[in-house]
Amino acid sequence: MEELVNIFVRSIFIDNLVLAYFLGMCSYLAISRTVKTSIGLGFAVIFVLGITVPINYLIENYLLGRGALSWLGPRFADVDLSFLTFIMFIAVIASMVQLVEMIIEKFSPTLYNSLGIFLPLIAVNCAILGGSLFMQERNYANPIEATFFGLGSGVGFFLAIVGIAAIREKIKYSNVLPPLRGLGIAFIITGLMGIAFMSFMGIEL
Amino acid sequence: MTKDYSNKYIFIYSSIMVVVVALILSLLATLLQPRQERNIRLEKMQDILASINIEVEREKSEVVFWDYIVDTKILNHKGEELEGDAFEVDLQDEIRKDLAERQLPLYIAEAEDEQYYIIPLRGAGLWGAIWGYISLKSDFNTIAGVNFDHASETPGLGSQIADKHFEDQFKGKNIFDQDGNYRSVRVIRNGVDPDDPHRVDAISGGTMTCNGVSNMMYDGIRLYKPYIQKQVNL
Amino acid sequence: MSTNAEISKEPLFSYKNKKLITNPIGKDNPITIQVLGICSILAVTVQLKPSLVLAISVVAVMGLANVIISLLRKTIPQRIRIIVQLTVIASLVIIVDQVLKAYMYDVSRQLSIFVGLIITNCIIMGRLEGYALYNKAWPSFLDGIGNASGYAAILIVVGAVREFFGSGTLMNVQIIPDALYAIGYENNGFFILPPMALITVGIIIWIQRSRDKELIDAS
Repeated sequence: MEELVNIFVRSIFIDNLVLAYFLGMCSYLAISRTVKTSIGLGFAVIFVLGITVPINYLIENYLLGRGALSWLGPRFADVDLSFLTFIMFIAVIASMVQLVEMIIEKFSPTLYNSLGIFLPLIAVNCAILGGSLFMQERNYANPIEATFFGLGSGVGFFLAIVGIAAIREKIKYSNVLPPLRGLGIAFIITGLMGIAFMSFMGIEL
Repeated sequence: MTKDYSNKYIFIYSSIMVVVVALILSLLATLLQPRQERNIRLEKMQDILASINIEVEREKSEVVFWDYIVDTKILNHKGEELEGDAFEVDLQDEIRKDLAERQLPLYIAEAEDEQYYIIPLRGAGLWGAIWGYISLKSDFNTIAGVNFDHASETPGLGSQIADKHFEDQFKGKNIFDQDGNYRSVRVIRNGVDPDDPHRVDAISGGTMTCNGVSNMMYDGIRLYKPYIQKQVNL
Repeated sequence: MSTNAEISKEPLFSYKNKKLITNPIGKDNPITIQVLGICSILAVTVQLKPSLVLAISVVAVMGLANVIISLLRKTIPQRIRIIVQLTVIASLVIIVDQVLKAYMYDVSRQLSIFVGLIITNCIIMGRLEGYALYNKAWPSFLDGIGNASGYAAILIVVGAVREFFGSGTLMNVQIIPDALYAIGYENNGFFILPPMALITVGIIIWIQRSRDKELIDAS
């Protein structure tokens, strides 16, 4: 239990995908104009990361990795399909995103209208693939740990995007130099937020 | 583009796509595997030789490898020798096993009448795996040389662990202190005293990768302690 | 699905086609205007050399992927288009990586760390979705090359700025003379850290928009 909390907190603050590793920047900058839309995207990312990381964990450990196929019999113990890792991970992510899109469209048109346009964007959000690749590298012991890591990373993204959206909403009332308005200042604020988050790096959990 | 296709079409389309892609990729992987494995094998030999400060071209490493490497051993965590070919042991598999089952390869090299003991290491950096070889002089304490490499560390920052100027810092450092306690060598930020036998200077901007190197060295060499103690006591 | 007949109607490099290449380099730059492909710019621009390597790879992958998707565009069902696009990109990248690993091992050692970055680079996906899916092969190819070049331009500028200020070198060759260090100049270690890439891009946007007032964000 302690371990799970540990993984969860780590992935939110210390290993924050956006502000420590700078992944998922495209949608982060493009969809952070207002707090409302960023909350929508944030929840979608939590959801997708929470699903895809454990699925990819299972694929990695029972299908693709070295010796992962040994449950089929000793003959398969040497099979190494790891050259397919990227394409499998990305296929899982893309199909999950499209599945989520279809399900939401069917059961909750209101939610679909507010969230739907972001869903295709999530498929190429490098934070999502990054989440799966980090999971692969960090050798989590079981799918539950992987799930907590996925959810934690999603919450980290959520915090970061809602944070910058709030700042951008406020900054509308400030007298920013015209050429810097919008994107320019958003880049610089993200840089400053990243510097602030670097102070979490020293924490040992 | 706006017209929507039937489920049947979608299903067939995606099946064909999966089959075609899988076919191309597996065909390619199978065809190219021998050459790729040869490259990896040659690079491994080159890296091992580099840890005892012998630079050879990759293509030639296979020829000279056995001129320098006089013996290889597989050890277990108690320092006992096991059967098998040390060169074929893949650390990537071993570090996932329980300690009791782990095979620990050791290469013994001879160059200019000096014996070197080469320990392979593997760990995690910031983005992916890092690995390396460290050679100890025959006192099993002084480092003769190291060679590090990495899968995907940040270019220009963490990737510098594979650069000569970083690796050269390790030469002459000790892994045990005067009282014989295991200390390893740690990579520390800022203001390292060059005479400190257990510390080297970190790469600025590459802290996470450097921490990975520290941990990899500490955890990796420690496993060989029982063997080293046996050798030194003899 | 041959496009020869269609192309012959207009010259290969008509005014419209040229615009496909030149626009993304300036006014419609993927990074500073369309906000695509930001992640990779942060990871590789510490030095000029990796920036160049990634830039060239993206130009190649994007040109090819655009052509393939454009040729397939009439057969791809809307519902699974994202998967199809990503599969094409990922397979292309993996094929290149595998071939390099076997025949040009040293190049592949340089490139392999970018494989993941290229696959998730939203520029490629963005242009497939936004252009290649609705246009013929040749313009799609130009659009791909153009956008990738615009991306490459920013990548190279940021890489050069960060390496120059952060390490005092360009392409690993020392530029700032020792004399300057002797009188107390120090490399600005801040430029090596990822947040500085964001701030550098912010400044590039600032410069670009003060020169071209049309681009200023009204909101």
